[in-house]
Amino acid sequence: MTRYGMTIDVDRCTGCGACMVACAVENNIPPAHEGATDRTGLTWIRVFKVGQAFVPMLCQQCGEETPCVSVCPQKAVEVDPATGIVGQMPERCLGCRYCMAACPYHARYFNWHDPAWPPGMEKTLNPDVAPRMRGVVEKCNFCHGRWHAAKQQAVAEGRDPAHVEYTPACVEACPTKAIRFGDLATLPKPPGSVRLLESLGTEPKIYYRSSKVDLRAGKEPSRG
Amino acid sequence: MKNTRRDIFKFAGGAAAGALLTPVPWRLIKDSSLWSENWPGIPRPARGEIRSKTTNCALCPAGCPLRARCVGDQPVALTGAGCAFGVAAHHLPYHPARLRQGPVEQAKAALAKRTPSEPIAVLDLNPGRTASWTFRRAMAALDGTYISPDPNPIAYDLHSVRTVLSVGAPLLEGWGTPANVLAAREKFYLVHAGAVETPTAMLADEWIRAEGLPDPLPRRLLENGPSLAVGDAPGVAELNRKLGAPVYARPEAPVPDAWKKQAAPVTALDAVPARGLRFLLIDESSAVTYIPWHLIEPKLASDAVVITFAVSRGGYARHATYALPAPVFPEITEDIPAAIDQTTQVFRLAAPLVPPPPAVVNASELVAALADIPAAAALRERADFIHMQSPAHPTPDAFWQALVDGYIWRGSPSLPAQSSPTQPRPAHDLPLTAVPAPWTPALLSPLMTKLYEESNLRLPPNAVALNPRDAAALPSRAVLQTLHGKCTVRVVPDASVPPGIVLAGSSPGIRDICTHGDGAKVVLA
Repeated sequence: MTRYGMTIDVDRCTGCGACMVACAVENNIPPAHEGATDRTGLTWIRVFKVGQAFVPMLCQQCGEETPCVSVCPQKAVEVDPATGIVGQMPERCLGCRYCMAACPYHARYFNWHDPAWPPGMEKTLNPDVAPRMRGVVEKCNFCHGRWHAAKQQAVAEGRDPAHVEYTPACVEACPTKAIRFGDLATLPKPPGSVRLLESLGTEPKIYYRSSKVDLRAGKEPSRG
Repeated sequence: MKNTRRDIFKFAGGAAAGALLTPVPWRLIKDSSLWSENWPGIPRPARGEIRSKTTNCALCPAGCPLRARCVGDQPVALTGAGCAFGVAAHHLPYHPARLRQGPVEQAKAALAKRTPSEPIAVLDLNPGRTASWTFRRAMAALDGTYISPDPNPIAYDLHSVRTVLSVGAPLLEGWGTPANVLAAREKFYLVHAGAVETPTAMLADEWIRAEGLPDPLPRRLLENGPSLAVGDAPGVAELNRKLGAPVYARPEAPVPDAWKKQAAPVTALDAVPARGLRFLLIDESSAVTYIPWHLIEPKLASDAVVITFAVSRGGYARHATYALPAPVFPEITEDIPAAIDQTTQVFRLAAPLVPPPPAVVNASELVAALADIPAAAALRERADFIHMQSPAHPTPDAFWQALVDGYIWRGSPSLPAQSSPTQPRPAHDLPLTAVPAPWTPALLSPLMTKLYEESNLRLPPNAVALNPRDAAALPSRAVLQTLHGKCTVRVVPDASVPPGIVLAGSSPGIRDICTHGDGAKVVLA
């Protein structure tokens, strides 16, 4: 059984935002609606400036006692037993936002507006990911479309589809290779790595390392 | 048995309650959810054969190698870009602010009326391309002037130094070729001098929180050589001379000898006489720098005709007589000049991934037509010349095809540079020092709103960041004032900006009045 996870070397992150844009391109996340702010925006991965470091924040893919799963009245959030990825099913979501309140990492975002792209730009949408409707919650799913593609490729090549390797868009776009992704059983974790809010016992699958900031202290916006 | 009305009600109630125990209502809920997910208001991604194309990014001289994932011929994703701008560059042709139409015929008519005695010039904001040589040849034929923002561009070799002093330069934020800078970064000790807490300052080994060249110089710079200073601040060139730093003339790929013989010299804007230009053509279609309008305007005659080749109305189009729509990356085949950290000759092409709108004008072809110079095949002519000099492929056709597919030709290393003296700044009584945000392309993907609006990662283009102490008496909208003009801006208090500094966004209005180190003040609107 594969358990996908990430390591993020905060000391290498330059805050360029390429991961945020690559994620939006890959997952058909629309541009900001008029008047959108950092509270109403849709950014599955968001880079925060904390002290003198940049910290990319995304769904931590909790493995145990997953808060969003336990509060969802619609069963719209599920942990995939084959990959450990916490999946969000927008067609089941009724938009109650209990999961947003329950998420200790504030890594879930609500679709306040109909998804809209400038005329002509719909042609550039990724055919592997369906755009979501207004009124549902969204979050990082480790580029599930890419996982499906990798699985299909493995089947076509006669390999075991339960153990496929693929690269999410943010990892691919990171120019400093600060983000690494893979099966947690084999993914090397830098010495001194921590998981955020580990004491909650949610067993997140994102490991951070930083020599500059105390990541256990949490996140804070620096501007505005 | 006689059915009463009570029996009918009982049956209906029982049926309704029983239906809840069947899959029917759940199926209805699911189907209605699926239907509402796919309602016509939500765009449907195109379907088709998935293909892959390789090319190079032309947004800046870094020229990152790109792989485009396409549905049919339509690019839907780019990988390989070293920055956020390049990741979404395939959106640029569809930008709502994209200039698609313009007074092309009127501009041609105005140029046709020009007499040989009327001074004409081309301002090239992305010099070093094949198009730049076409401009130079055309200006030589028309007895005009070819103006470049930097007539003697230099290049730094980051790989041969052990200590780098960055004087306000955005070294780790897209200053050079991202992959090259990051590869070299592992080997040198970085000292950053700058007042603002930029990513380069945060990731430097040592940060000196002051504007300009530090005094005294960091000991490490002198003791842990070879060393290099980068930045536009006064004294940097002199310091590099003292340090014996590896600074070279920016290399340029070979050009046919016939072009060199018929080319106008490269002229700095300062060297153009005041009120000396009757016709000015500005190629800002792939601009990699920006010259504030207050420096250009004094060079224009009172009845000057300014024609700009622009991708949006944001830049010089605001001041031009005619703003002509130009192609944007990735719509045409163009070459990419060398970056500031490239010390060997390179020749690479950005191949088109989508066709340009019908009304756009290629600047070099229009200018060449004025001088009756054939320019449509200039790129191919140069590629053939390079192939003749150093045949890396069996035939010129194979070399050209490789270039179109993203091949990068590399030539010989460059020669040491001659540095030019820096100009003193005029005195003023403006209490703040302006520090503009790093350069950004003229047109950005609408998805950049993720960085500018939906997060606090980057300062919005029309905003200035001030220390909360300096911003205390200011409302959210105020006026930024420098010696060169005023501009209405959004004020963002930011504790990471030191007192006395104004961190300015990159909107054209701000860039027109504000360069690094200028005196400034922010006052009530």
